Amino acid sequence: MPTVSMTVNGKTVSGEVEGRTLLSQFLREGLSLTGTHIGCDTAQCGACTVHVDGVAVKSCNMLALEADGAEVRTIEGMANPDGSLGVIQAAFQEHHGLQCGFCTPGMVMAAADLLAANSAPSEAEIRAHLDGNICRCTGYHNIVKSIQAAAAQLG
Amino acid sequence: MPKDHGIGASPKRREDVRFLTGNGQYTDDINIHGQSHVHFLRSDVAHGTIRSIDTSAAEAMPGVIRIFTSADFEGVGGVPCGWQVTDRFGEPMQEPKHPILAEGKVRYVGEIIVAVVAETLEQARDAAEAVVVDIDELPAVIDMKAALEDGATKVHDDLPGNLCFDWGFVEENRDAVDAAIKGAAHVTTLELRNNRLIANPMEPRVAIGDYNASNEEHTLYTTSQNPHVIRLLMGAFVLGIPEHKLRVVAPDVGGGFGTKIFHYAEEAFCTFAAKAVNRPVKWTSTRAEAFISDAHGRDHVTRIELALDKDGKFLAVRTDTYANMGAYLSTFAPSVPTWLHGTLMAGNYTTPLVYVNVKAVFTNTVPVDAYRGAGRPEATFQLERVIDKAARELGIDPIELRRRNFIKPDQFPYATPVALEYDTGNYDATMDKLVEIADIRGFGKRKAESAERGKLRGLGINCYIEACGIAPSNLVGQLGARAGLYESATVRVNATGSISVFTGSHSHGQGHETTFPQVVAEMLGIDESQVDIVHGDTSKIPMGMGTYGSRSIAVGGSAMVRATEKIIAKAKKIAAHLMEAGEEDVEFADGTFTVAGTDKSVAWGDVTLAAYVPHNYPLEDLEPGLEETAFYDPANFTYPAGAYACEVEVDPETGKVDVMSMTAVDDFGNVINPMIVDGQVHGGLAQGIGQALLEACVYDDDGQLLSGSYMDYAMPRADDLPSFTVDHSCQTPCTHNPLGVKGCGEAGAIGSPPSLVNAVVDALSEAGVTHIDMPLSPSRVWSAIQAAR
Amino acid sequence: MDLKGSRTIAADRMTVWRALNDAEILKAAIPGCKEMTGNADDGFEATVTQKIGPVKATFKGVVTLSDVIEGESYRISGEGKGGPAGYARGGANVRLDETDGVTTLSYEVDAKVGGKLASLGARLIDGVAKKLADQFFENFQNAVAPRSDDEAPDDDDTGREPEKKKGLIKKMFS
Repeated sequence: MPTVSMTVNGKTVSGEVEGRTLLSQFLREGLSLTGTHIGCDTAQCGACTVHVDGVAVKSCNMLALEADGAEVRTIEGMANPDGSLGVIQAAFQEHHGLQCGFCTPGMVMAAADLLAANSAPSEAEIRAHLDGNICRCTGYHNIVKSIQAAAAQLG
Repeated sequence: MPKDHGIGASPKRREDVRFLTGNGQYTDDINIHGQSHVHFLRSDVAHGTIRSIDTSAAEAMPGVIRIFTSADFEGVGGVPCGWQVTDRFGEPMQEPKHPILAEGKVRYVGEIIVAVVAETLEQARDAAEAVVVDIDELPAVIDMKAALEDGATKVHDDLPGNLCFDWGFVEENRDAVDAAIKGAAHVTTLELRNNRLIANPMEPRVAIGDYNASNEEHTLYTTSQNPHVIRLLMGAFVLGIPEHKLRVVAPDVGGGFGTKIFHYAEEAFCTFAAKAVNRPVKWTSTRAEAFISDAHGRDHVTRIELALDKDGKFLAVRTDTYANMGAYLSTFAPSVPTWLHGTLMAGNYTTPLVYVNVKAVFTNTVPVDAYRGAGRPEATFQLERVIDKAARELGIDPIELRRRNFIKPDQFPYATPVALEYDTGNYDATMDKLVEIADIRGFGKRKAESAERGKLRGLGINCYIEACGIAPSNLVGQLGARAGLYESATVRVNATGSISVFTGSHSHGQGHETTFPQVVAEMLGIDESQVDIVHGDTSKIPMGMGTYGSRSIAVGGSAMVRATEKIIAKAKKIAAHLMEAGEEDVEFADGTFTVAGTDKSVAWGDVTLAAYVPHNYPLEDLEPGLEETAFYDPANFTYPAGAYACEVEVDPETGKVDVMSMTAVDDFGNVINPMIVDGQVHGGLAQGIGQALLEACVYDDDGQLLSGSYMDYAMPRADDLPSFTVDHSCQTPCTHNPLGVKGCGEAGAIGSPPSLVNAVVDALSEAGVTHIDMPLSPSRVWSAIQAAR
Repeated sequence: MDLKGSRTIAADRMTVWRALNDAEILKAAIPGCKEMTGNADDGFEATVTQKIGPVKATFKGVVTLSDVIEGESYRISGEGKGGPAGYARGGANVRLDETDGVTTLSYEVDAKVGGKLASLGARLIDGVAKKLADQFFENFQNAVAPRSDDEAPDDDDTGREPEKKKGLIKKMFS
């Protein structure tokens, strides 16, 4: 089996994978980073969203081998260095932007991706950006509020 | 100023930290050393006779441990149904066997035929491709009315036909209702469909079976809303495992919405197979599997008649409903179109006569069961749609027509003609609030603005009432429930005064770990951080009926209150001993015991320590320790009610509907955590809007599910929805539970579809449209506009 | 899903008919066909790889001819199982009419899918079926004409060119 190496949340990791192993599988099963969730099989729900070289991707839609040599960031890498919640994470808690928590890692990663590109998104821009992330619990109302609050704080 | 702790405050959720950092532990995150994986080979035809199954090639494939067919399940029970409905002739419903793996026939696309257990999931999948199943395809019955015609293909050969039951309620009122309709000044009739839905919690179902041969103990990790119910159903009725040898764990669960209440074949399979292969066996559903194996929801076809007198007073309601059961009876399926539906047909109104007929029908489709609201959305939708239609026909303002018929505050407790006794409510108050915060009076101006942009704006309103926390057990037993509907709680006070509450309620997004401590901490006057909640594990919690039907705080919370009251009673005795006072003179407030009229006091921690280090302790009168359990069986349902308004813009050129606003005014009685209650309503609204606007579970005539992925089944996404306006300041506390609470989990999904459809019909009323079936897709709306022209 | 169409093939009816019963020609014409064995009387076995929307699958199945009226019409139907992708089955009623040495092949196609193909691909199936049917008859048309080129030096070949022109002229002036 081929070996794949990448940097995940700042740490260099490597492992053997099959050609068909998805990045999401490698993160969950190979690295035990189970914060990245699998909610569908058609790259629609976004629960598996991670950042690869700074861009949000659906890790169920990328082979592990395609991420060879890449910088990958997952939900486990979003807290502050001291372990406290990062600004976006804290905003989700403050504004009740999550309920069952299953879509949450993908939502946080998608929100970080948006705010990196647009520091002051409108409600419509936030909603449009979340088009590829499905939440069944919150009705998105508080997710939108959380992202607006994070944007305000990040300036 | 809002409270910052205790009941009525909105502390941030403590469970969020683990979910936000990727440290939640969902069932699929659990991997047991040595586990094997199962892949289920499912039927891709809706109906057929299994002629042969050849597993020989697959068995020789790499990694295959064992391949199971129904032949391996001889002597094992079928998946049981937890509710037996008696039909209107006094006969029990038709109840077919529901095998773990298909026996002889397949009856829906998705039914499991073969299970392949292998070292890895990939090997199991590869081997499943080498299994040869020869099926003689039979005609499928999909349409409910066609299924009841003479000569229709039977889903179950051993039953008389496809009718599960023909239920009448209240049967004695049947003739009186017909007479009232015949003699009425006005009768409004509406035929409609409550569209079939797929619950789609974001976490797909997972089951892991584990078996310890040395002590014969089984463990099942499963994505369940009610692990004890699974233990009872699977242990007693399917696999014959006594409770003390069967542990069911439901860890973090990623949403349920009803579809994770039920006991599924996959759970029984993994538990059974783990012993058979002496290895842990894991199954993780793909989303594609979820679409064809999770129980679906709704799917009622109804004709409703509302009779009114010349002043618009409701005289009678009659409904005829066909309810789809799918191919087998899921755990609570028969209760949904009957006791959770017929009993709500009085709504918020004084209608004196109601008759509900329901024909439940077997079809070659996935089993249908409770989905958020379960029966109550169906009842509310028909009633609130027909009232709106009547208002339009009679030229009466729809708000005014409802007000004329409201049960008034001084009429409570109010006995409806459909067996319920509403304890409290104030429907005018919620309507007043709605008129205010939805700015109903400003609608005309907004409509004109929309018209300038070429859009048709509509306003729809509706009321709803629902029944939460189904109870009491002795009543539901008479109605056919094969389980009790109490809840249990154990409050364990530790030596230093910290507390673990063991609750039979299960949290899968509702925030119990935050709200339940708010209650206990307030009762004891201690800090919330001193209270933790333990749930979801049958080895830790004495008993539990789980979380569904908006019952957790009303039933589970009440059990916790009762147990905490017992704690306080015992702690007072200990405090009295410590202070050398009479027990009757001890008062307890803010975490301190005092003797009335003196300056004597002992702190909470002093008493709890004495309970566990009983050096100075009334050992002759009192056991050491401080732990109490209570079972709470409610005296009645709770009855949340409210008034909702929706405004839409319809593009007459394309038929596209935009939801401009959705306003929900709910009376939930007392509220423990307003932030969480708002969130529950938001989620319900999104699902209600999803049903009304987007979601459709579609089968073709051959029984193929055509909407089996997120590219085909339109889940509401962020840009489909508006921000919501919600209010729960109108509060008539429940009179029969200690917290005065009602349920809030399902209200949004119950209350929102009729207001949305009423709004679209309002927008199109000038074009002559009187009804459009959900979901109001652009093509349906456009076609309705064209047809009306 | 039902669709109809027709094609004009510059060959006489019996030539077209023989081609319709020829495993090699059918193999060349069926889009994605990897293997085809058997004969018209006993049926053919075929392996076909197709992509419908997001689902790509290799179908193994049988192709049978029924309702055969020699030289005039038949029904060609196929049923393939695609493993985890589900199944696809379909058929075409094919009729041949000859006018002035040119054969008009008319067809009515019906197709059904099951399993994952239905739940993920159903909304695409009409388009796919139309495309596949068009491709089939296009391929078939091409397979029949050049084959005549290669094999039949005399009648067929000499007769074809003028007939094609005739057809064209007829079209232009009708």
